[in-house]
Amino acid sequence: MDDLSPKERLHRTLAKKSVDRRPVICPGGMMNAAVVEVQENSGRRLPAAHANADLMADLAKEVSLDTGFENYGIPFCMTVEPEVLGSEIDLGTVACEPKITREIYPDAASVVFRNESDMLKSGRIAVVSEAVAKLAASDSDVPVIGSVTGPVSTAASIVDPMTFLKDLRKRPQDSHKVMDYVTNFLSAYAGALIDSGAEIISISDPTATGEILGPKMFETYALPYINRLADYIRGRGVKVILHICGEMRAVRSHIPAFRADAISTDAMVNLKNLKADYPDITTMGNLSTYLLEFGESDKVAARTEALLNAGIDIIAPACGLSTASSLKNLRAFTGTVKEKV
Amino acid sequence: MAKEEILKGLADAVVDMEEDAAVAYAERAVAEGVDAYTAIDEGLAAGMQKAGDLFEEEEYFIPELLLCSDAMNAGMDVLKPHLVVDEAAGAKIKIVIGVIEGDTHDIGKNLVKTLVEAGGFDVIDLGRDVKPQIFADTAIAENADVIALSTLMTTTMLGMPKVVDILRERGKKDAIKVIVGGGPLSQSYADKIGADGYAPSASEALKLLKKMYA
Repeated sequence: MDDLSPKERLHRTLAKKSVDRRPVICPGGMMNAAVVEVQENSGRRLPAAHANADLMADLAKEVSLDTGFENYGIPFCMTVEPEVLGSEIDLGTVACEPKITREIYPDAASVVFRNESDMLKSGRIAVVSEAVAKLAASDSDVPVIGSVTGPVSTAASIVDPMTFLKDLRKRPQDSHKVMDYVTNFLSAYAGALIDSGAEIISISDPTATGEILGPKMFETYALPYINRLADYIRGRGVKVILHICGEMRAVRSHIPAFRADAISTDAMVNLKNLKADYPDITTMGNLSTYLLEFGESDKVAARTEALLNAGIDIIAPACGLSTASSLKNLRAFTGTVKEKV
Repeated sequence: MAKEEILKGLADAVVDMEEDAAVAYAERAVAEGVDAYTAIDEGLAAGMQKAGDLFEEEEYFIPELLLCSDAMNAGMDVLKPHLVVDEAAGAKIKIVIGVIEGDTHDIGKNLVKTLVEAGGFDVIDLGRDVKPQIFADTAIAENADVIALSTLMTTTMLGMPKVVDILRERGKKDAIKVIVGGGPLSQSYADKIGADGYAPSASEALKLLKKMYA
């Protein structure tokens, strides 16, 4: 029998307080559970729900109800930010998530710095904010998580990513200017989501990995700008979940320097060891999304149990879910967490 | 300047990510009559292979490798016009590479392309978000030996077996090998879809190809 509501449980976990059992969540953004089956069952479909606040809020509720994840997590993509900053995007289909078709700037030096308040009025920011407000006003026990794309990934979504990566080394001044601009914008966007009622902000920065950047560039760009964004959000009294992609051996020693309330990692990272080495970290993760898509549900349940036994604080998928993942497996995942206290 | 010195200068320029130095040494090679093929093979490409080793050893990461590749290409631009034609047109293994439809993440694909080209393979790059049919059509039309497919997204993985199926339908499954790589993939996935190989990283992709065509 659960003593806490999903909202209390997640907030208590992020505050490092005792809980009745572990929360199981899927924070939205890159890591969302708006799989095809949920869309078909609910009649709330993508890509329409990417651009309509009512549909977005309704779909977020259906995701939680249908899969058992104990949060509302929106938006369902990582393209809200690059779209506002000027890149061309394609909203995709029921089964295929939105993507950037063309980054607007060829290199860091070409980036045009736009006015922040204009940007906050453009693109789908109003849609996401309104959807957050609707979910927050629905007076449920379910926490509302707003997802934002991290600064390195956002910058690499407006500047051609190959040139961007080279500019990090070759033109550090231009690169820092772009990172500064993007981080200010992301803070303002996160602020708008907080104003609308987001209780927790989740940051995913898949380009900011040790494998891509290496320890030096990670320390120079990922760490300080992600921390600045996190500091802003936490300064607003809101907790931060940070998802780090990839195999993070090269940057592992930097992880405790992130000022986040929980660190979520990819499937190849041994969270139990991470927790043992850095006991202050609240760990989140990291069920293989490959297993969720292709595995049998008893295997999903067994792996979930292993995560619980390993003492992971917040149970979640390890990465972006395939839209073809079955409800059967998602329910086996969330169900196992709820049964095994 | 001695030939050895020029070759070393070219290799070092690539490893040190010095585009200007690569151009200067390439011009020097031309001026001093160093064979262009040798300058590329024992100078620039040797440097790129060293860069690839540093990448594998986690001394270099993606920004560094891309800058090495730029330096190599800058030197290449100077040397290419001086290549004796039959040297350039050797029987290289031809690879068609691209990111599968639905996915626009191409950093990994570009790395594979860079290392594989430096490793002596001929690469046709179809870019990102490429339909399965285009991979098969291009490979058949170009008489390619290999199709190399990349994706970062679990959603788009499903385009990969389609390429294999099209090749099979057109009776080219044995003539054209399919290799796959990218974040969500694994050897077992490659086996499952009937691909001929899987590599977890760009340097492993080069090793895989070298093994296939040793």
